[in-house]
Amino acid sequence: MMEFLAEAFALALSPEVMLFALIGIGVGVTVGAIPGLSGDMAIAILLPFVFVMEPAAALGLLVGIYKGSMFGGSISAITFGVPGTAGAAATVIDGYQAKLKGQPNRALHTALYSSIIGDTGSDLVLIFLALPLAAVALMFGPVEFFALYVVSLTLVAALTMGKVARGIAAAALGVMLAMIGRDPITGAQRLTFGLPELSGGIGLVPLLVGVFAVSEIIVQAGRAWMRRSGREMADITARAEALGYDVSKDRLDWPTFRATLKATLLGTGMGTFIGALPGAGASLAAFMSYGVAQRLSRKPQEFGKGSLEGVAAAEAGNSATSGSTFIPLFAFGIPGSATAALFGAALIMMGITPGPTMIKENMSLIYALFIMLIYANLFNFCISKLLLPVYSRLAMIRGEYVLPVVLGLAILGTFAASNSVKDVWVLLAAGLLGVGLRWFGVPLGPLVLGFIVGPGLEQSLRQALMLGRNDWTHLVQSPIAIGIYLGTLAILVGFWLLTRARPESADGAAGGGKGAT
Amino acid sequence: MKLTHLFLASTMAVTGAAGMAAADFPSEQPIRLISPYGAGGAVDIASRILSSVSGEYLDTRVDVISIDGAGGQEAINLVRDAPADGYTLLVTDYGPLITTALQEDVSYELDEWVPIVQITEVSPVFFARADGPYTDMETFIELAQADPGAISVAHGRYLSVPHLPLILLEQVAEFETNHIPTTGGGQALAFVLGGQTDAGASVPSTIAGGIGDGSLVALALATAERVDALPDTPTLRELGYDVVLPAWYTIFAHRDVPAERMAILEERIMEALNSPSAQALGGRTGTDVRPLGMEASMEAYQTTIVNLEAILATID
Repeated sequence: MMEFLAEAFALALSPEVMLFALIGIGVGVTVGAIPGLSGDMAIAILLPFVFVMEPAAALGLLVGIYKGSMFGGSISAITFGVPGTAGAAATVIDGYQAKLKGQPNRALHTALYSSIIGDTGSDLVLIFLALPLAAVALMFGPVEFFALYVVSLTLVAALTMGKVARGIAAAALGVMLAMIGRDPITGAQRLTFGLPELSGGIGLVPLLVGVFAVSEIIVQAGRAWMRRSGREMADITARAEALGYDVSKDRLDWPTFRATLKATLLGTGMGTFIGALPGAGASLAAFMSYGVAQRLSRKPQEFGKGSLEGVAAAEAGNSATSGSTFIPLFAFGIPGSATAALFGAALIMMGITPGPTMIKENMSLIYALFIMLIYANLFNFCISKLLLPVYSRLAMIRGEYVLPVVLGLAILGTFAASNSVKDVWVLLAAGLLGVGLRWFGVPLGPLVLGFIVGPGLEQSLRQALMLGRNDWTHLVQSPIAIGIYLGTLAILVGFWLLTRARPESADGAAGGGKGAT
Repeated sequence: MKLTHLFLASTMAVTGAAGMAAADFPSEQPIRLISPYGAGGAVDIASRILSSVSGEYLDTRVDVISIDGAGGQEAINLVRDAPADGYTLLVTDYGPLITTALQEDVSYELDEWVPIVQITEVSPVFFARADGPYTDMETFIELAQADPGAISVAHGRYLSVPHLPLILLEQVAEFETNHIPTTGGGQALAFVLGGQTDAGASVPSTIAGGIGDGSLVALALATAERVDALPDTPTLRELGYDVVLPAWYTIFAHRDVPAERMAILEERIMEALNSPSAQALGGRTGTDVRPLGMEASMEAYQTTIVNLEAILATID
């Protein structure tokens, strides 16, 4: 025990690894702060390079990017009312209002503190729960896994704020896209339309980068073409400068901060819980904790008008998913979010297969990762605190400089990942698909999660049926599986009751975020 | 796709023409070792062992390039379409090269490929939980014969390296089990350890941990001889069942590559893989690096084709 801990500390605290974690955080906060760029994108683009790096250094870099981007998203959300990442959409509601009230510094610092607290809490839960959960994971066979996959798809589709039908449609589309290629049981080609290029299926990286990044680039380029984006940006900048604001009168003092602590802790709990559910994401966690914090606040009427509690709840909520989202990955090998899927891919490239035996087989590296998760929070805190004023200007970089670079990186990264020009076409096609989905207001998250869990869903269902000799009741003969189904039902009912109680605030939240984008 | 190949072929024709003129093969450009599997897998790791010692023994760099599109066919086609100058080689096991060719329409004939060096032999092994009723292969077969289809066996992918020996064994020993395809050795192992399936089929490196801590028992190997990793595990041939179906990771050249270049490659790669540094890397990554030259690996290649044709003919 002590031996591998010492090894883990040596790995995690080596100068190279710490340097990469620092660089990662710098990159993460930067891409998080730039609307349209996200930590997931940066990780996806860097994936091919992971293979040639030392595993610990690569993990440090990825962890840094992930954590940095979680907070970075709030910078542009507060400063300009434009969420830098999907997770920061809830932060816009009160953060931007606080800024308009002349308190950007307070709001930014509230966001930073709550983000770090939420993240750390979630990491601790991961560290202490992943191992025990991994121990029981061997009890999960095809029947139980199928139940888990059904749950994650149900949750992600049903919890898509205000667009349940579209969420289900997107998840189903994702599952269908995942079925292209080879049948997992017989290896026969299917749904390839006779194209040999499709016989290996559609790659995760081109689909992910295409749907999220390329489509965003196309949409933004289209907006810039319409000469709207430039004018909006100029307006915002002019307004920010016209405010004539004095930082010394906008310090976050202890009593003000203490008042937001309850919301932060609520957000931490909510975010950690939602993050651990396979399929639910940071933006859902942020909106849910915002909603709950408002219900339980002493001053609910201030929410939506620049309440620092609102900022704290949203930021703690989205950042608290960052540790717990790894629980399903580490315990079961199931990626619970797009980010977790990317980390899973990175681990596989290092020769480590995520799953029940992973922690046992790679003790020192996984504990090194845990140590990195914790100290990366500290780094994130220091760097962000020092550079907050600089970062807030990043959001003012004009799209015409940023977008071509990002598009080039996306194409290069995708090609490098598979050495295949085919994947570049898939990337561009996925970009167009993403534009179409955005046009019709179909959420992208469920699509990507459907695509990610689709193969596992199908494989476990068919394995379970083979084991049960094609008896469908075999699927509900496991007490664990029944427990999972009942638990989901309880969660769905709970969410339904919560959202039903405050329909106006949920609508306002979603509308506010959308309007600002 | 065609455009891609055209493009690749034309760039390679340019670089290739320059290479042909020079006499000092293989030092005038890097060798590209194309793998039909994703980075990080067993074939990839075996190839990278060669790559890491290549500077010293081949006088050039060996770049391992993973192209796992179209079930491996993209990689094979790339090597086939490249100039036959010995600078673009294929490294693979039999799955994408032989199994796919016997089952689907592919662009090549099997005799277009000439094995240069077999890097390692991979031994399919059957295993079960140590606390279960299947403590040896005889008991396993008896119990399977008693209740056909009742015993479940998790193997890797459909028709993969551990699955084909299972099919062959059932034909030879006349019994029937419930085959459960998995995503690979890791999942097969988890299913057996968790009691989801009764037994499993994989390769020694997958089950080494479970054998070591006493939770698993290895039933039998589908190789001609016992292996170092599992010295106490009998081969099926020892038990009276003629099931010898090892897999291999082998470096192939297209038959149009000049014979003298193939000979140089064979000599240099054998030397590189037998070097102490390559052997040490093999030990660290759990790869039993035991290189075989052209003649021996051609024999293994042809034997595998004959065996696979026979097995696949019975299940189609």
